[in-house]
Amino acid sequence: MKKCYFRWNRKGERYGKRGTLLLCLATVCVILTACSSSREEEEKTSIRIGVSLYRGDDTFINNIRSELEAKAKEYEREKGIKVTLDIQDAKGSQNTQNNQVERFISLGCDVLCINPVDRMDASVIIDKAMTAEVPVVFFNRQPVEEDMDRWDKLYYIGVDAKETALLQGQLVVDLYREQPSAIDLNGDGVVSYVLLEGESSHQDSLIRTEWSIKTLKNGGVPIEKITGGIANWERSQASALMEQWLNEYPDTIELVVSNNDDMALGAIDAMDRADISNINVIGIDGTTPGVEALESGKLLGTVSANKEVYANAIMGLAASCALGEELPQEYALTDGTYYWTSQKILTHDTADE
Amino acid sequence: MIGKKSKVMIFVYLIFLAVLFLMCSTDLIIREPEKEVYQVAVIIEDAGDDNYGNFRKGMDQAAIELNADVRFITLYEKLNADGQMELLEREQQDGVDALIVAPVDRQSVEDALKVNQVTVPTVILGTGPAKEEAAGMITIDYREMGAKLAEEIKKHTSKDCPVLFVEDSCGKSDAGSSFAAGAAEALEQSGYSCRFEEPEWGEAYREMLEALSGQGTVIVAGSPEALTETVKVFEEDISFLDRFAGLYGRGTTPAILNDLDSGLITGLCVTDEFSRGYFSVCMAVEELEKMGAGKTMTMDSYYIEKDDLREPKYEKMLFPVE
Repeated sequence: MKKCYFRWNRKGERYGKRGTLLLCLATVCVILTACSSSREEEEKTSIRIGVSLYRGDDTFINNIRSELEAKAKEYEREKGIKVTLDIQDAKGSQNTQNNQVERFISLGCDVLCINPVDRMDASVIIDKAMTAEVPVVFFNRQPVEEDMDRWDKLYYIGVDAKETALLQGQLVVDLYREQPSAIDLNGDGVVSYVLLEGESSHQDSLIRTEWSIKTLKNGGVPIEKITGGIANWERSQASALMEQWLNEYPDTIELVVSNNDDMALGAIDAMDRADISNINVIGIDGTTPGVEALESGKLLGTVSANKEVYANAIMGLAASCALGEELPQEYALTDGTYYWTSQKILTHDTADE
Repeated sequence: MIGKKSKVMIFVYLIFLAVLFLMCSTDLIIREPEKEVYQVAVIIEDAGDDNYGNFRKGMDQAAIELNADVRFITLYEKLNADGQMELLEREQQDGVDALIVAPVDRQSVEDALKVNQVTVPTVILGTGPAKEEAAGMITIDYREMGAKLAEEIKKHTSKDCPVLFVEDSCGKSDAGSSFAAGAAEALEQSGYSCRFEEPEWGEAYREMLEALSGQGTVIVAGSPEALTETVKVFEEDISFLDRFAGLYGRGTTPAILNDLDSGLITGLCVTDEFSRGYFSVCMAVEELEKMGAGKTMTMDSYYIEKDDLREPKYEKMLFPVE
């Protein structure tokens, strides 16, 4: 027993020396690593943000992109932190976007800002981001809740589609109450309208349509739908549809309700071609060409998200994530994930605001 | 029952498989050549990238093919030479391997290279031949471009038509100056009268054009911005189209090409911006890999009108597919 204890003790002493040495080395390594990483954190003077847009030719997205670039410069100047924005256009392909995300991660982006092509298929992006531990700020096209709940470093910035629709409807209701003949152009007591809808898979499209029409009805505007069609947010598609409707229903259409400004402008293009100017057109987004059409009186009204706040929120959130800081207080997140940008009605009189 | 010999054979076979797997799946035995990722910064002279759409597409294409990490940087203020020099230094300090610069003030950039203020290989996008200090130069002869435009104007208008050159009031770039000088020289030699203006855009500009309308004036916009602003005035009052003998300029932005297509712009000078972006990155990477890239590459310029837009040659060049 004694012998055994002695052996164990001797061996233990021998290993104890080595162990102590190893322990010391490990401690030194840990301290050095900690020091270097804390110094790295302290000295983080630049951030890299990977931005992927579902389609670069979408006017609203382009407006947001320009604002975002301006905000990145502003942030760089104010905070003295270099901001590198890698902006890529996914051209409507989810596969391309997935590859872009992979490239962003391999290039060492600190955070990703993604405007998903297919909001139902954001899981691949989330998987890649989670594996690389790179936070993701989604914007404009909201991934499904199940995906957003998968990680606490996923955020979404957008506008409340229901609020948008309520404002769009209210815009017509107010004008109708003020002067019914301005909306009911032929004075038959019924406002005949056509509807231009965005992509069927986009969450905002259905909500905008539903609540805009409900608001018109609830507001006492006697509406009657002539027809409607999906123009996928695109000006050219809307223009083709409107041209067809103008031929099919001559002198009947009094109002064009559009899910966005680009499609509203497409309808106006068709009206211009047909030399028709007495149809009211309403849009959503407050894009630059949309506001120009408002100023020239071709567009009756639109609902505009505050793009500056929108881009600021993306930049602020992305920068905080990249620097590992607490999220900015001014952007109160719903459920710790969602930020809704404020919106307002724009008409000819308020287009400059 | 498996015999002892068979067991050994199976064991050896399994070991062999494991070794094969290791050989294939790791670079322990078969090493893949390591490809270095070069950090390249592109610093332009503008505060926005509106005029660099196709350039960026070419740049991105080269970045993917050559495994380069290319960052595109715009200035805080358009044509701010000091701001550009600060960005050059910042990027160098941040460890960039090569720079591609569209200089606001070419002399400053070349001086910085000369006195080793900028030590990384630098490709310059500009006019004229490359200086020794620069790693390379991608040049467009804007003077020749202007002269080419003048020849086209001469074909369409008589000497009696005065020519108005408009330029951005917030500053003239080297390209704008050379382009206008080239066109004016050729026109004046042929007896045309030329006038130069740097108007404030908006209402003042509209009033200026209003005063000149009806005299058969030809407008030549020295920069894409000046062209866009002139188109805006034409769009607001389409009768301007008939009151002027033509609107000419340079640029390849989608908006400008649309305006050419819709007949608001009479003729346009264009260059292959996709190739310019592509070759600038190639030149930078080749310099880093010491492959002896050519020092100067001159891009051709072309004059196009509405009908040329559908020609395969120009369609491919102006609307490149990535």
